[in-house]
Amino acid sequence: MKRELELNVNDELWEVNVEPHKTLLEVLREDIGFTGAKEGCGLGACGTCTVLVEGAPLLSCLTLALEVQHKRITTIEGLVEGGRPDPVQKAFIEHGAIQCGFCTPGNILSAKALLDRNPRASREEIEEALAGNLCRCTGYQKIVEAVESLVGSE
Amino acid sequence: MGSETYSQVGKAQPQIDALAKATGQAKYTADFNLPRMLVGKLLGSPHPHARVLSVDASKAIALKGVKAVVTGRDVLGKKYGMFKSRRDETGLALKARYVGDPVAAVAAVDEETALEALDLISIEYDVLPAVFDPEEAMKEGAPQLHDEYERNVVADTHYDFGDADAGFKESDHIREDHFFMQPNSHGCMEPRGVLVDYDITGKFTMWTSTQSPFHVRRDTSRALGIPLSKVRIIKPHVGGGFGGKIETHPMHIAAALLAMKTARPVQIILSREEEISITRIRAAMQIHVKTGVRKDGAIMAQYVKIIADSGAYSSTSIMMMYNAGLSCMIPYRIPNFKYDGYQVYTNKAVSGPFRGHGANQPRFAVESQLDMIAEDINMDPAALRLRNASQTGDTTISGLNFVSCELSRAIEESTKKAEWDKKRGRKETNRGIGMACGGFVCGARGAGHTASGTNIHVNEDGGVTVLSGASDIGQGCNSMMAQITAEELGIPVSDVTVIAADTETTPIDPGTFSSRVTFYSGNATLIAARQVKSQLAEIAATLMEASADDILFRDKKVFVKGSPDRFIPFGELVKRAEGFGHGRLIIGQGQWAPTNTQFPDRKTKWGNVSGSYSFSTQIAEVEVDRETGQVKVLDVTIGDDCGQVINPMSVEGQAEGSVYMGIGHAFLEQTIFGDNGQMMNPSFLDFKMATPLECAPATMVEVGKPDPIGPYGAKEIGEGLLITSVPAIVNAIYDAVGVRIKELPVTPEKILDALEKKETEGKS
Repeated sequence: MKRELELNVNDELWEVNVEPHKTLLEVLREDIGFTGAKEGCGLGACGTCTVLVEGAPLLSCLTLALEVQHKRITTIEGLVEGGRPDPVQKAFIEHGAIQCGFCTPGNILSAKALLDRNPRASREEIEEALAGNLCRCTGYQKIVEAVESLVGSE
Repeated sequence: MGSETYSQVGKAQPQIDALAKATGQAKYTADFNLPRMLVGKLLGSPHPHARVLSVDASKAIALKGVKAVVTGRDVLGKKYGMFKSRRDETGLALKARYVGDPVAAVAAVDEETALEALDLISIEYDVLPAVFDPEEAMKEGAPQLHDEYERNVVADTHYDFGDADAGFKESDHIREDHFFMQPNSHGCMEPRGVLVDYDITGKFTMWTSTQSPFHVRRDTSRALGIPLSKVRIIKPHVGGGFGGKIETHPMHIAAALLAMKTARPVQIILSREEEISITRIRAAMQIHVKTGVRKDGAIMAQYVKIIADSGAYSSTSIMMMYNAGLSCMIPYRIPNFKYDGYQVYTNKAVSGPFRGHGANQPRFAVESQLDMIAEDINMDPAALRLRNASQTGDTTISGLNFVSCELSRAIEESTKKAEWDKKRGRKETNRGIGMACGGFVCGARGAGHTASGTNIHVNEDGGVTVLSGASDIGQGCNSMMAQITAEELGIPVSDVTVIAADTETTPIDPGTFSSRVTFYSGNATLIAARQVKSQLAEIAATLMEASADDILFRDKKVFVKGSPDRFIPFGELVKRAEGFGHGRLIIGQGQWAPTNTQFPDRKTKWGNVSGSYSFSTQIAEVEVDRETGQVKVLDVTIGDDCGQVINPMSVEGQAEGSVYMGIGHAFLEQTIFGDNGQMMNPSFLDFKMATPLECAPATMVEVGKPDPIGPYGAKEIGEGLLITSVPAIVNAIYDAVGVRIKELPVTPEKILDALEKKETEGKS
């Protein structure tokens, strides 16, 4: 039986009518149309589905959409403000931290959450925070450098 | 790396689509949606080897929302595959050859319904005896997977160059060792998928995650018996390939069939489990190496024997076994070389090309053994490699010709940077340093179509459109072509749009494999851009009353040489060209394949398969915990002769990615098979890949010089570096604690066992 849900995604309210067992990832991608969050494994092991809920990273493939009603959900699309990418997005671009790009939204959102709660994160803390976001292309070096470049920059 | 004479080449630049990727706007196959689109799912065989006797899909069809079921009886049974002589796949099997081998597919209104329908398809099988070990499969009387291949040997490759026996006789020291490299998954972050739209004219349009749209077109046309021109393949963004996405997959054939049957668009996206277990993996290889050297370290002869596990289908077997042998002759001068390579079918997941394509396995073996030889003859491993290193101008005993080779410099510079002499042999610290060298083709010459093409259109505002058949799968070849175009036309990279690849609108291209793209498509783009330039220069010369030879393109302006004030803005020149004479369009067309290659002679195997070759040295420093057996890679130093670097950011990205992947291959990654040949760990929970916590920083030292053939002198780096990552680590472990791991992956258990054994032996 479908249920009416109200989701706050990227500072906009979305009303969707979905089966209650639908994951947040499915609803974001299929019902709302934010395809920046990806399904890399469906088991919460790769981090490509990462979104922010109340500013904290969450695996949307393991989360039911109805669990996060009335919470502030941010997807990669929501980091762009007034057509301008977020500093974390810019740092990933400028440091060459992006190759195939499939893990990029998840990595950027995890980095964003880390820097928001710990703007002076050490290299070890950055590596720890990103350990749940697999990347098969870059070897992580440029990803960590991109995040490091933002430490203490505010 | 940089050059003052270039405005773009040698300058670090983010990929041209980095902003789209960073903001979630880049679209991958699963992100596309068409009206009335159905979801397709594949049904795999539960048996490792079984004939499909009958299929009863009536219950599935009766389920609300199910629109079609297709099986092996719906395909023609016409075999397809990358190599004409080894075609052995049909799309949906009538005889399943491994657990998971797709035998049927369903299309339904949503994923849930499709999955439910799979459970309702009832298949009667005739279960056949199966074989899982390649050496067992080679024996007389073993179950045979494919009728054409007795004893299951699908590739049987032999070289005999020079006189190996004589070479061994002339040797002062000979070693024979046995090694094993494990199978593992490509682990692309994007599971592959396909979306097919079938229209009333009989045309299929497919968006698919592929490294080679033109191969998918060819195979789909073949498998379904439809003209090539009725299949259009469009490659959207692709989330990694690493060799795994070169070939056509049963999902392509199944989705096309389902779309045709339902007259609705059908999308199949593989689950992670399917992505790991029913696509391709890297071939496990048993490698036997015998090498003879003189006292001074000169290699006199080498014999390599490989038995590779093919799994259920051939994939690129003949190319892989060819490359496995050939790659042994690239980094070092080997006067006498003998090779026996066998790739053998087994009832397991299919082995296929994987970044390095058959070179990784023997490289691990040979580089490990070279260190053992160095110790035996009391020679520094770096000196031993330097003693044998290939040089510019060399022609190997097999006919490979090296028009540029800076391997000696790579060894010298990387050992210096890594402080090799200082860091060797400090066992008391449990730290060690090890090296490995390698070389790789810049696109191996195939028997069939091999050239690449680029078309360049100049738009009336000066914006430039590049059309190429090359497949950017994340490595950044679209950016490479944009950079080359911008360099030639003196415009910013941001003024260049790259459209690639679409079989209907872009030039035909073999695909992204064999480290060929910068070399081939880069040169094709250079030719096309220079055509555009000469067309425009002719008009500019007339307009500015100068000689066409004196026209320069820089900073979005077209100048007369020596007169910085005499110029026309690039966009204005294009506009004026339109009305020039009887009217002009500015279009450049380039196609390129190297002319210095020679396809290997079928009998003697002599030939030169690549226009040029890359060379690399990799030095790893590790620390071993004697209590836990854990190894930490501390640092990696790379000397890579990839010629003139076009984009240092991309080159570093390839290098760092190779170091990362090598760490995974050395320690973590392995696909494990159960008693029925079924894959036991097809998930990212159980198939482990390295995270930032396991990675090591990579430092590159400059060693390359411009190559005479590559675009601006560029050579490959995507594959050649990975092949040296694992042996450098394994050699460093030996330097650290004196244990030699010959069977991968290196696990803490193996380290502890070897340490214990060593201690016991030391006492007795």
